[in-house]
This record gives sequence, structure tokens and C-alpha cells, in this order.
Amino acid sequence: MDLRSFLRRWRALTHKKELEDELDDELRFHLDRDVEQNIKLGMTPKDARNAALRAFGGVDQSKEECRDARGVGPLENTLRDISYSVRVLLKSYAFTIVVILTLALGIGANTAIFSFANGILLRPLPYPQSDRLAVVDETAHKRGMDSMSVSYPNFLDWREQNTVFEDIGLHFGTSRFALSGAGEPVEIRGSRITQGLFEILRVAPHLGRTFTADEDRPDQDAVVILGYDLWQKNFGGDPNIIGQKIVLSNRPRTVVGVMPRGFRYPEVSELWVPLALTPQMFTRTDHGLNGIARLKDGVTFAAAQADMDNVAARIEQQNPVTNEGLGVKITSLHENLAGDYREALLILLGVVGCVLLVACVNVANLMLARATARQKEFALRAALGASRWRIVRQLLIESLLLAVVGGALGFALSLLALHLLLNAIPIQLPFWMDFGIDLRVLGFTLGITLLTGLIFGAVPALQTSRVDLNDTLKEGGRGSTGFRGRSRSLLVVTEIALSLVLLVCAGLMIQSFLRLRSVNIGLDTNNVLTATVLLPRAKYSTPEQRSGFFKQFVERVRNIPGVQAASATGTLPLSGSNWGRSLTIEGYPVLSVGQAPMIQHTVVTPGYFRTMGIALLAGRDFNDADITDGPKVTIVDERLARHYWPNESAVGKRIRFGPPEDNEPWHTIVGVVRSVRHQRMQEDTRESVYLPHMQIPINGLTVVARTTSDPLDVTPAIRNEVKQLDRDQPISEIATMEDVVAESIWQPRLYATLFAVFAGGALILALIGIYGVMAFLVQTRTHEIGVRMALGATARDVFKLIVGRGMKLTVVGVVIGIGGAIALTRLMHSLLFNTSATDPFIFIAISVLLSVAAFLACYIPARRAARVDPLIALRYE
Amino acid sequence: MTKQTADLFKQGTLELLILRLLSSGSLNGWDIMQRIQLVSGEVLSVTPGALYPALHRLEARGLISALWRQSDNNRKAKFYGLTARGRKQLETQRKEWERFSGAVDLIMRDA
Repeated sequence: MDLRSFLRRWRALTHKKELEDELDDELRFHLDRDVEQNIKLGMTPKDARNAALRAFGGVDQSKEECRDARGVGPLENTLRDISYSVRVLLKSYAFTIVVILTLALGIGANTAIFSFANGILLRPLPYPQSDRLAVVDETAHKRGMDSMSVSYPNFLDWREQNTVFEDIGLHFGTSRFALSGAGEPVEIRGSRITQGLFEILRVAPHLGRTFTADEDRPDQDAVVILGYDLWQKNFGGDPNIIGQKIVLSNRPRTVVGVMPRGFRYPEVSELWVPLALTPQMFTRTDHGLNGIARLKDGVTFAAAQADMDNVAARIEQQNPVTNEGLGVKITSLHENLAGDYREALLILLGVVGCVLLVACVNVANLMLARATARQKEFALRAALGASRWRIVRQLLIESLLLAVVGGALGFALSLLALHLLLNAIPIQLPFWMDFGIDLRVLGFTLGITLLTGLIFGAVPALQTSRVDLNDTLKEGGRGSTGFRGRSRSLLVVTEIALSLVLLVCAGLMIQSFLRLRSVNIGLDTNNVLTATVLLPRAKYSTPEQRSGFFKQFVERVRNIPGVQAASATGTLPLSGSNWGRSLTIEGYPVLSVGQAPMIQHTVVTPGYFRTMGIALLAGRDFNDADITDGPKVTIVDERLARHYWPNESAVGKRIRFGPPEDNEPWHTIVGVVRSVRHQRMQEDTRESVYLPHMQIPINGLTVVARTTSDPLDVTPAIRNEVKQLDRDQPISEIATMEDVVAESIWQPRLYATLFAVFAGGALILALIGIYGVMAFLVQTRTHEIGVRMALGATARDVFKLIVGRGMKLTVVGVVIGIGGAIALTRLMHSLLFNTSATDPFIFIAISVLLSVAAFLACYIPARRAARVDPLIALRYE
Repeated sequence: MTKQTADLFKQGTLELLILRLLSSGSLNGWDIMQRIQLVSGEVLSVTPGALYPALHRLEARGLISALWRQSDNNRKAKFYGLTARGRKQLETQRKEWERFSGAVDLIMRDA
């Protein structure tokens, strides 16, 4: 646009009145000249004027075209259309509010779920060039494991032999450290890491330095790096912290570095100590470490995988016994972290998108009804020279205005919804999940806002553009309902079908969740309190110290008033912790470590089964006679017993654990107990064995106490007992067993809740939609109904007519919906537990529910129709 | 004006005629209408409904400019005149028109 035309447009905008006057003058001049000429030709002044006007044609139309021609038209007209739209919308505020709220809820729900998906799936991880980071796992396909944690010697070989990584590092997951100092000891989550791990992540320390290679060795590892928040909170952000000694789990360590603000790794760790392992301490058959690597520039994941396949094959050749069938798997770090959530999030996005679609349909319906009522207005404007496009544009602008206001409100709602959503997640989310609003979320909201505006605006706009001006003006606004009726019916059918799909999905999710919740996990979760105590190895270095502590502690807990029974376990069922070991059975062929079955290996103190309500099926429980020097004993679960001794008692048989070639001592089976869901409520793949803590004196146990009333009531007493035994000993993860179980299925619970909320919303919208259409039908056909009644139709006939029409639409919608649901629910198969994606009960129940609800929505307008007084109806025009 | 003549007045043709008429001096809308009728021997005619939007379009494109001044009957009228750009545009369009009508002529004569 050059300067001159810009100035002209500017003038057109700012001097509108002046230009309008000029246009008037110009055209008046023309008319006057015509009139003059006509008079000269001998007409009377009046005839002359009429002839001139006739010759001129539509003055207003000409003016409109001249305005368009001015070129400022689009901008000026748009502004005028907008202000006109605002006036129109404010005038019918009830309509406007309903539409804006409907859209706000739809857009808000979508934005919330999108922010959620964005934070997990789309946002890059908070490390420089995070797309080059890879997780390195081992695989043991012969044992059916396509991902297994890493052994230390294998890692050393990888590091030396690979050609594709800048470096590989290891961490030991998240562990708990007791930080003692002034006041109560506190538990901090931290991680043992190899030297070089921060360099792989490319995160430099805020203060001090990272670990040196020398510090990654036993006896030289008395150093620690602090996280920023920990440094701020527990050390007051002391700038001279570097070089100071702190006591962690009873071991003094020198602070060598502080990591930058916001940095946590892995998951929620905020304190790091050297891994400091040797191949002797952690052999090739000990798996339990997590590998992470950074790919060299230009190396693809496939190339890295190929290189590591070679390295693994070489290691297997050199260590045929320990590494039989072991491979390596490379995955991108982001994929590895986010993979678990991907499917559920995509399905949720689909579901919430459907809700928005239903909202759009509803709004389109309202817009249609309104457009019908406004036909006369449009016809009048068309007659005054507004082009068809101008009217369509006017409608689109109204739609977009509604959408934009709805979108803005929806965006605000999404912040609230996201807050609620995050509160519904009981676990501490890994720090890399960031659900803040970013440009992507804003873009998404803007995109769906404009899209919805176009979707629900297009229908009435298109319909109006087909209206025949003459017919409308002649008919006095009653209008032909043909096209309108059909398109509104189509919208209702769409709504019913979409709601049915959503309701079926929600029904399946809820059924699945209920079935999951009622799974018999093999123990009684009522009134059980759990609390974890992790003894520092530095202080409790001998087995006697550890078993002694726990023996006394359990004894003290047992004596707390209100406690019926107490015991302790190394791995609490469904708490996420587990310990797998290889199993060898006496009398069966000895398998290599690569082929031996893995079993769940749980260390408990006597009385565990009674406390937890796990039925003892044969033999006996552990007792105080099962001591370190005594015969090694074990208790197996019923699945293992039935597997190996289907026709005889397992009691008295002998088994041993660990790599078969290590020849660990045999354990005699003294009891058989009911199987417990240890790892997941959904399934328990591993057979289980239990061992007495006296014989396997590990340093961390979870105390379980069965109480007579609310288990949380005894919490202070339990805390006190720990303090009595060791005032520096923290206690953590105090929770009821019910909470532990509920927490283990928070994802299915959250999904079921979200599905139910979304489907419920869609149902309500659909019912409003049907009601609106039927009420509109009754209103526009009052005249016809009056005629029918005057001709002898009874109230009952009229009622049947209206309800019949509504139900016909409902049935069509339900049938289409069932078809859609059968096609779509298959996608959520993996989210369902013990529930078929085409569960006929759910399909039938939902169809009936929806039909009944639709009937009720038709009932009110039908009743109104049945009460029509023919006399009034016929006069009603 | 009959429908057949109106169809001849495609927008571009009308604009070309206006430019041509204005090339010999500025005129107001009413004059332009009279001229078109007069010059074409009453074969072509144009309605104000078509003429004024065309004038405003040409003005918006900077091909003609307008000035209010006294007309013959002593009333103020809006007079349009060619701008430099309008003159250039007239030249190009005239050449195109000549080429086009020359070609049509040839075909008509040969056929």
C-alpha cells in the first residue's frame, strides 16, 4: 500500500461523515441535472423527479457500492460489522451468555488437557539439545524381558567399546538420604551417579564443580553435590557452602558443588553422591542401574543401536555364562519418560475434542434458531443493498466474536481445570513435566477458538445465504422450515451420536476401574498403617544391628495401644518397589542365569502374613527361631507352589536364589501363602518368595501395623517409638495401606473421572440440543398443530407426533453412535482392565440411558404442544 | 437501457471508456454519462448505479482524481480528471484493446 492510498484510507476512516456528505452531494447533483433536463423536455417537476429517480435505480445500492469501491470498505465495514455484532449480541444477552459459557467450557477443557499433553509429550526436556539424550537399557529377550536395568561391568565395557556416544553415565534411581544437623533429621531424595553424568546432560553447576573421576571410587567418594532448592532451604543459600562437611545418612561428606535452580535428576532427586562402584561390588549378574548417554553429533538412534548391538554381542562372546542372551536397547530419553502417558493422553485429547464438537453443534443449533428468527432482518438488509457476502460475513463475525470471548473465558477456566487436574495426581510429578502456559498452548487455544467460530458459524451463515429474499419478505417471517428443519435434525443426530460414543467410552473406563478396584489383591487393606525406615549403613553396619533395630521397633509398635498386630517388609505390595531374583529348584535342571525364572523376593519379619491378612495355606509362618545361623528357610506363594509341585505339598522342598552358578545356600520351604498382587493391580506376573529378615538383614523395611480404628491415629506414637530407639533416624512415607493401593491405580482413576466428566458434559449439551430443537419445532408449528387439533387430532396424537419426531432423531443418532463407538473404543483397548472394548452391557445400558434422557428432553415441549388451544393457535400470527 | 447493452458494459470496458473520456479534460459524473450516450450514438448507455461505483473505484486506485468546482449550471459538482498513472493505464489498455479488437476484426473479415 503506497502512502497516498494509505492516506486516503485513513481519511476514509477518520472523516467518514465528510465523505458520506460528499457522496450524497455528488449523487444529488446527478439527480438534479436529470430533473432539470426532464423539465426542459417538458415534464412537470413531479414527473421529472420520478423519472430521474427511476432512471437512477437504487440510490442506496449505488451508495453501498461506492463505499465498497472506496477500498477502505473491508476495514471500515469490518469495524462497523463488529460494533453492530456487539450491539446485536448484547441485546440478546441470554443467548449470548449460553453460547459463551458452552464454548468456554469446551475450549477450557480442551486447553487444560492440551496443556497437560504439551507438558508431557511436546515440550522438550529441560536440558540443552535434549533430543540427543538416550536411555540405554539392557534386554534379555530369552527371559521375555525387553528392558532390564544395567549391570556395572557391562556399563564399563560399553563405555570403552562404543563409538557412537559422547559419553555414557549411570544412576541408581532415586534413593533416600537422612540429612542430620540441627533439629529433626530430614529425608532427602537423592541419587548415586557416575562421574560425567552432568556433562552428558550439559548442565553446569551453579557453584563449585561436578565429580572427578577419582571421586567415583569407593573410599574417595565422601563428596556431595546439592540441588539449588535444598541449598536454599536447608543451608540458607550459604555462598561459602563449597568445602563444608555435611552428614548424610551418618556419613560425613564434603560439598563440592551446587546445581542450578530448577535442576533435578533423575525424577525428583535434589542431591547427588558418586556411584563409586567396582565390578567386584556389582557383578555382571547384578542388574539395577540406569544408563543414560548423549549421542555424538550426526549419529542417529538407529546407528547407535547398531553399534551397541555389536558391543553387546562382543561382551556376550567374552562372558557366555553371565551375559547369555543379553542385548542393549537405545531409546530417546523423552520417549522413555513420556511413553507411558502417550496413549492415554492422545485418547483424552480425542475425547475432549469430541466434547468441543458437541458444544459446537449445540451452538450451531442455537445460531440456526436465531438466524431463522432474524430472516426478516437479513432480507431487509439485502433489500437495502447489502450484498449476500456482507450478510454472511456479518454472521461469521458474530460467530467469531462469540468464539473469541468464549475462548478467552475458556482459557481462564483451563488454568483452574489444570490446577484441579494436577491436584488429583497423588504422586510427586517428575520435575521435567512442566505444565506452564507456553506459546504452543496459546496457539492451540487460539486455533481451536477460531476453528470453533468457523464451524458453528458456517452452518447458519451458509443457510442464510441461500434464503430467497422475496419469499422471506412475502411470507411474513414464518418461513419455510424445509432446509432449516433438516439441518437442525442433522445437528441433533450428530450430537446424540457423539454423546453416545463418549458415554460408551466413559462407561467402559468406569467399569474397568471398578473391576480393577475390586480385584482381590490377596490381602486385607483395611486399617493398616505403613511407614518406612531406612537405616544408614554407616551407623548400622552389622546384620545384628539391623535385625536388632527392627526387632525392637516392631515389638514397640505392637505394644502401641490400638495396634492389633505389627510386622515389617522389605517391599510393600503395590508401592512400586520390588526385588527380582533368579530361582533355582532342587531336583530341576540348573539353568543358566540367562534362562532361570525371575521371582519376586520379599524380606519380612515374623507375623507379616497375619498382620496383612495374607492367608497361610500350609506350613508355618517365620518365627524368632529362624535366625542367621539356623537352617535357611523360605515361604512361597501358592502360584509358585502349584507351578512346581502341582500334586504334592511344597513344604519341605528346597530352592535357592541368585545366579545359579553362584551356588547360594538352599532354603527349605516352611510355608505356602496366598498370592498377593505385588507389582500391579492389573496383573502379577512374578511368582513370589518370602525370606526372614533375620537371615537377609537388609537396612530398609516398611513397618506395617494393623489397628483397631483409623490407622493414621497411631502415627505420632510410631514416630515417637523410632525416636526412642534412635533420635537421628527419620521415618518416611507414612500412609495407610488403602492409600498405597489407591495410589497405585491413580492413573485409571483419573482417566475414569475425566472420561465421566467429559461424557457427562457432552450428555447435558446433547439434551439441551434436543430440547431446543423440539421446543423450536413446537413453537414454529403451533399453527399447524392448531389446525390438526381443529380437525380432530387429540392432545395424545399431538404429544405422540412431537415425541415421535424427537425419538426418531434419537434412534438414528444412537445407531450411528453405536457404529462409531464400536470403531473407536477399540483404540482404548490398552487402557481397559478385564473389560472388552465392545462390552455389550455397557453399549446397551448407555443406549437405553441416552434414549430415556432424550425422551425426557422431548417430553416438555411435547406436553406444551399437547396443551395448545386450537383457537388461540389459529389466531396466533 | 436494455439488458443486452448492459452486458457489453463489463467493468473493464466501462473503466476504459471513462479514462478515454477524461483524457481530454475533467468532467463530472453526469457529463460522463451524457458523453457516453452521445459519443456512442446512443448505442451504449450506462446507469448511475454502475457509473458512480466505477468512478470511485478508479479514484481509489489512483487512476483519476477528483475536485469540487462550479459546473456550467453554477452548482458545485465533483469533477474527475486523469492522473499521471491514469494516463499510463489508458495507454496500455488502449493498446490492448486495439490488439484485441484488431484480432476480432481480422477473424470476422476472414470468416
